[in-house]
Amino acid sequence: MANHTSTQAAFENQPTWAGGRSPFNVSYGKLMMWIFLLSDAFTFSSLLVQYGTQRFSNVVTPITTKWPDPASIFNHFPFMHGLHLPLLFVSVMTFILILSSVTMVLAVEAGHRKSKSEVARYMIFTILGGVAFLSCQAWEWYTFIHEGARLDGNTFGITKQGYDHLHSVGFGDHFEWAEGDRTFGPVPFAALFFIVTGFHGFHVFSGVVINVVVYIMTVRGVFERRGHYEMIEKAGLYWHFVDLVWVFVFTFFYLI
Amino acid sequence: MEFYTKPGEYDAINYVPHTESHGTKELWKTFWLLLGITVLDFVIYFVMGPSGFRNFIFIFFGLVKAYYIVGAFMHLKHEKINLALVILVPMVFVLGLISGLLYEGSALEVMKSM
Repeated sequence: MANHTSTQAAFENQPTWAGGRSPFNVSYGKLMMWIFLLSDAFTFSSLLVQYGTQRFSNVVTPITTKWPDPASIFNHFPFMHGLHLPLLFVSVMTFILILSSVTMVLAVEAGHRKSKSEVARYMIFTILGGVAFLSCQAWEWYTFIHEGARLDGNTFGITKQGYDHLHSVGFGDHFEWAEGDRTFGPVPFAALFFIVTGFHGFHVFSGVVINVVVYIMTVRGVFERRGHYEMIEKAGLYWHFVDLVWVFVFTFFYLI
Repeated sequence: MEFYTKPGEYDAINYVPHTESHGTKELWKTFWLLLGITVLDFVIYFVMGPSGFRNFIFIFFGLVKAYYIVGAFMHLKHEKINLALVILVPMVFVLGLISGLLYEGSALEVMKSM
């Protein structure tokens, strides 16, 4: 390790791209994690752009849209039946994810100080945060499915009021009535909700698995023997990326 | 000038730069910032009625949060500028994709209405 560092130092004065050292001054593994995250960012971009396209293709007039209002659907909170509480539950989920992000970054910082016990403690907090988030998402999905949302169907259309308005301005032909007081909504609304939050949830799940593996390696002293805790940084990069994706899912699926 | 080394002397695969702790001050600052913006999102959601301007605020706040997560938590602010550009520049093309496909989406509805 010391030998590597001193040899690296011999190249410090060479031009950046002359070879012999990492031009980005990061390790191979960390660079590969960044490249992976870039490709993952494209994956989520394509999903979110698809969502945007579908949503824009359902705007009938500038003020009337066939797209359901998220506030009228995601308005439940555990143990509070029948109350209209939009955005509250998903804000709690966001808070959990931010909190687990900060414990992750504290684990990285503890790793820089080579403090094994602190790394292990903060990793436990991070894992708990991830599990809590996944539990919230399971509840969210359960509620949504319970209300009739399916991957290939959407019972959340516009209301009778909006329907009458659209007829009066000559756009009524787009709709057929569901049972009850709503039309069938655009199918991509439910489908893309399941696909995008599902894809994100799967990333959270993989992140939890990675964090558990890294925690076990920490406790068993693997990084202590290795001389550095860089694996925590790599797991951390992935974990923060998951938080980053959630920022946009939160914005486009719930806020707007 | 010789840029290569003898086998085993410098191992590009296993090389890990030396890192030092810079304290937790910036991290906690970022945490409070992210929390503050999320609370602000929550407040604006109920105070303002739905409008294009409100959507603009939400997207702007989202980008601010993204900046702090990537910059401080993922440490990209303190990495070499080369690395930051390699990661960020390709994302610019996504902006083109967004503007293009949102326009196409609206056009799709106009087609359906005709």
